[in-house]
Amino acid sequence: MLPWLYSFPAYVLIGVIVLFPILYTGYISLTNMNLYHWQDYGFAGVENYVRALGKIDSGFLSALWTTIVWTAVNMLFDVAVSYVLAVGLNTEGMRAKRVYKTLLIFPWAMPAYVSILVWRVGMFNTEFGLLNKLLVALGGSKTDFLSRNVPAFLSCMVLNLWMSLPYMITMFDGALQSVDRSMYESAEMEGANVWQKNLYITIPSLKKMMAPVVVMTTFTTFKQFDIVYLLTMQKGSVSGSTMQTIITYAHQNAFVSNNYGLSSAVSIVIFAIIIVFSVWTNRKTTEA
Amino acid sequence: MGKSIKRKIRLAALHLFYICVCLLGLVPILYILLLSFSGGSGALTTGTSILPERFTLENYRRILVEEPFLRWLFNSVILSVGTMIIAMGTSVTTSYAFSRFRFRGRNAAMQLLLLLNAFPQILSMFAIFRLFRLLNLLDSHGGLIFIYAGSMCIFGIWNMKGYFDSVPIEIEEASKIDGAGNMQLIVKIILPLARPAIIVTAVMILIFVWNEYLFATTFMMREESYTLAGGLYQLQANDYSRSWPLFSAAAMLVSVPILIVFFCVQKYMVSGLTAGGVKQ
Repeated sequence: MLPWLYSFPAYVLIGVIVLFPILYTGYISLTNMNLYHWQDYGFAGVENYVRALGKIDSGFLSALWTTIVWTAVNMLFDVAVSYVLAVGLNTEGMRAKRVYKTLLIFPWAMPAYVSILVWRVGMFNTEFGLLNKLLVALGGSKTDFLSRNVPAFLSCMVLNLWMSLPYMITMFDGALQSVDRSMYESAEMEGANVWQKNLYITIPSLKKMMAPVVVMTTFTTFKQFDIVYLLTMQKGSVSGSTMQTIITYAHQNAFVSNNYGLSSAVSIVIFAIIIVFSVWTNRKTTEA
Repeated sequence: MGKSIKRKIRLAALHLFYICVCLLGLVPILYILLLSFSGGSGALTTGTSILPERFTLENYRRILVEEPFLRWLFNSVILSVGTMIIAMGTSVTTSYAFSRFRFRGRNAAMQLLLLLNAFPQILSMFAIFRLFRLLNLLDSHGGLIFIYAGSMCIFGIWNMKGYFDSVPIEIEEASKIDGAGNMQLIVKIILPLARPAIIVTAVMILIFVWNEYLFATTFMMREESYTLAGGLYQLQANDYSRSWPLFSAAAMLVSVPILIVFFCVQKYMVSGLTAGGVKQ
């Protein structure tokens, strides 16, 4: 009995704030609740799910596709760039390593929403934005990066990398400390070049340690909401791009177009995707 | 000799590369810092120059005196501290129970918590909103504290369980033989031993609440109940009062405390993230 007694307050709190809202979301997903049916909503069965998954024009499937591309491209750059930067930092004879590490970490330390707003104002903004100033100085004309889909996607991506690279670099750097140095020495004696050393020693040694970090970051990237929302679809200052990830799609349907039923159905689908994906990665990492 | 010169050139090139990367990475922050010192809202709009025409602390004075910044700061502090107390109070005992007792349903409960944690809280925001409307908890600090504490509680449980696991159980057994009661045991022996873990977890909860804007802007509707995050969001969202230098000054004021805290606990955060409970 004692352990349950110890954890009772936590269970009450989690039950009310986390568990119940999820169940309630599941319930709403089966109704036609919207702005006009706030109290007197009716049961709609799986209609919302059919609408989200079956109809192309509902926008969910394209949002899902955007999210998959978003996650893949971001992770690719995130891992590759941070690997190169971390390995470079660990070059023999690099004295100022700590200074660089501290400077590189700043974007991670900044509050995320501040960073995003700062980029919106300081980089992408047409009047104050540094990028536009640069463009004008180089003889180009002012461009609203966030008004069309592809530039908006790339802008969000650059910002996402800026925000997530420091964490990855730190993790890679930590993992690199545990790689056995003597392996490089014997490889050098046998005449291995830089590529071979990276490919056959460094990368295989890091794999196991970095797997959980990469999986975790993949989830965070997949669930990324703030960047897209704050850059392109803030209430009252929609930038013009129609780029949607699945999370912004769910949020918009709940709080902008008031399609609560549809939004909840989408939320449950996203939850299912996350569960399937985490079970799969869990099995993969325990197998390895 | 030739080889060492070649190596020196390579190192110099590498240094140059990292200096460029660091500068590039810091540009947005440095630019906002410059902007926050620039006088007048129009000073930077016209020219292509990056440096402001004159340096002034006017923006900082305005944000502190003319905007309800101190009110927002007060709200943020209330929310952070309140969340920390509730989340830590509930999660310390739970993580202790998970770490020390082997009871039926232990594994199932822990897995369920992980599963619940995988659900992005944004997605249940509407359900919480409806629930809170019913309970009349909208627009109240208490309501927001409960939301934050609920999600942070799971994080705390998993994070601290890992540390409790690493505290040897023999110490507890010895003090039990000496006649210590359960409550006494926790307060006098366990908490001091797990102090680093508790501090790091508490700091991470503080940072989370300090940085949260979405729930803070959705559930708080009156300007006097905004947090720093909500206030800053309003500063840049409100068309009429939009002043980027003012916003920049506010952004700096909000970030500096977090930067300081972050660099103080950074060492522990990295080890906590890799060795602690976040790993599944």
